[in-house]
Amino acid sequence: MRLLIIEDDKDVASFMSRGMKEAGHVIDAAHDGETGLEMARNGGYDVLIVDRMLPKLDGLTVIETLRGEGDQTPVLILSALGEVDDRVQGLKAGGDDYLVKPYAFAELLARVEVLARRRDPDSVKTRLTVGTLDMDLLARTVRRDGEDILLQPREFRLLEFLMRNAGQVVTRTMLLEKVWDYHFDPQTNVIDVHISRLRSKIDKPFDAEMLHTVRGAGYRLSAP
Amino acid sequence: MNWRMPAFARTTAFRLTLMAAGLFAVSSFVILALVYAYSVGAASRRADATIGQEVAAVEKRFAEGGPGLANRYILQRSVGGSEFLYLLVGPDGERMTGNISALPAVAPDEDGRIRFTYDRAPVDDEDGQNDAATGREARGRIAALPDGYALFVGLDVQEETRLVAGLLNAILVASGLALAFGIVSGVLVSRRFAARLESINAAARQVMTGKFATRAPRTHSGDDLDDLARHFNDMLDRVEHLMHRMRTAGDSIAHDLRLPLTRMRSRLETALVEGADKTDYEAALAQAVSDTDELLKTFNAVLSLTRLQTGERRQAFQTLDPAELLSDIAELYEPVCEDAGLEFSSELASGLTILGDRELIAQLVANLIDNAVKYAPAGEAICLRVRETGSGAVEISVTDTGPGIPAEDRVRVLERFVRLEESRNQPGVGLGLSLVQAIAEVHSAALSLDDGPGTDGAPGLRVALVFPQVK
Repeated sequence: MRLLIIEDDKDVASFMSRGMKEAGHVIDAAHDGETGLEMARNGGYDVLIVDRMLPKLDGLTVIETLRGEGDQTPVLILSALGEVDDRVQGLKAGGDDYLVKPYAFAELLARVEVLARRRDPDSVKTRLTVGTLDMDLLARTVRRDGEDILLQPREFRLLEFLMRNAGQVVTRTMLLEKVWDYHFDPQTNVIDVHISRLRSKIDKPFDAEMLHTVRGAGYRLSAP
Repeated sequence: MNWRMPAFARTTAFRLTLMAAGLFAVSSFVILALVYAYSVGAASRRADATIGQEVAAVEKRFAEGGPGLANRYILQRSVGGSEFLYLLVGPDGERMTGNISALPAVAPDEDGRIRFTYDRAPVDDEDGQNDAATGREARGRIAALPDGYALFVGLDVQEETRLVAGLLNAILVASGLALAFGIVSGVLVSRRFAARLESINAAARQVMTGKFATRAPRTHSGDDLDDLARHFNDMLDRVEHLMHRMRTAGDSIAHDLRLPLTRMRSRLETALVEGADKTDYEAALAQAVSDTDELLKTFNAVLSLTRLQTGERRQAFQTLDPAELLSDIAELYEPVCEDAGLEFSSELASGLTILGDRELIAQLVANLIDNAVKYAPAGEAICLRVRETGSGAVEISVTDTGPGIPAEDRVRVLERFVRLEESRNQPGVGLGLSLVQAIAEVHSAALSLDDGPGTDGAPGLRVALVFPQVK
């Protein structure tokens, strides 16, 4: 996919570019808000990665301007400000996700890839299917190979999120944010425990594993 | 214009007093002026009435006995000096009788009244004083009599005029005095006010020059200036407290970051000097990356702790249902506890309300459970509880049957980076409980650490937060 990164720190930008290229993406970089806005307007990007503090035009203004012009390209905001208010401000300005510096590259990559896929009209679906795993969002039932699987409400939401992002890596932080709506960093491996519970229900009784652990990054649900 | 007003004259108190004095002077002047106008009017009316009676008396004689009788009456009245001035004029304009030679050279108004001055022959009266004889104030009236006769009767009002003029002087002097008293009291009041304000200003200047311990003097009278001094001092206390905190935080950060940074540096240096092959370098780099992550984690924790302690999050507080909030957390942590072999239970009273930040309280409770999971061995129990205290406040508590914290260490563990000896081998940087403390503080909740329901060997720990009642 094509990405545009607007980030004034050239070292950080080139590090990101290299990583994204390795992951198979095409990436352009702008080092100030004005150039970034111009490049974003010319369009064709799948995701914009925008730093909050930029010379000439700050990140939030760039995003607000684009949204004002009807541009709906998904935007990931990078920021050194991590408090809840800052996050709310960023999302209000039209950002789709918010990542606090410093971050692991794997976290950034996972979030960008999930954002790029969000353009699919997934949210209006009433049924999610990954391989033989089948989720009915209205009846709130889950089946694998035609067998009913009983899930707790939170497990259901966790699986729903994984299925909506099937094939993508999702990080622990993303799960804590999107499924539990918490933005702090727990000291213990809470998410791992929930994943292993879910795994014991959707994977263990069956032959092939669908919920994979991606080392150093997070988890990925995919058809066996 | 290099001239500057004296200090007291520039004070608000002085200006206000001056304004009040001015208003008082003007209003007293207006009141006295009304009195004056009324007195003048009354004097003139009284003179006019007396003149009217005298005219009527002459008219009566004229009607009874013609000009002769009137003439005799006038002569009788004027003998020996009279306060009245008379002139009877015949039909042809000739002077018939009277004690003045001609009508005053002033045109009468529509009622025939005349106001004029006249000269009088010097008279030695009883008091022996020779009154001024020229230019005396008088009022008079011309009345037409039958058969073409005309009568003029005047009255000397010199005394009344002098009296009224004296009144006017008294009024002016009184107003002037009122203004002067106002200014004097303004100066006195504002001097006092300025001196007290100056004492606060002096304290402020001292603080600005770096003498932070200076405080404004208090009179403890409880008046507004004393209030100002008290608030000023309280504010300084708060600022000093925050500054102290910041300095401590800075020291702690430096202290806590120096060790891992030094360790990382020496590891990298060793790899650089002694590293034989790619594997060595890779191992050193991998170690450096994980060291850096740990450092960043510490750094972020300290930053959010510091930001929390400024209290700015308070603006976003909302009313929350603690049972709802804690059941979310319980749901998140129950599997973790079970995996650690701990028995997890929760008792959440419903229908209560607290004012706070959902994310922060969740983080606080998560921290406490994290700690319990970390330190309590398998087989112990954790209980999460929300209840209403006797006084109607809301208490959130996390109780475990683990090893507990010795009573003498309970204050110390709330400080930053403090880790008890027994926990040195556990991961973490010792910020968990200080974060709990900071979150409790920002919510004005009372934090307490007590023994839990355990045994002597493992007394357990009960961490409780009492939130203030929501009004």
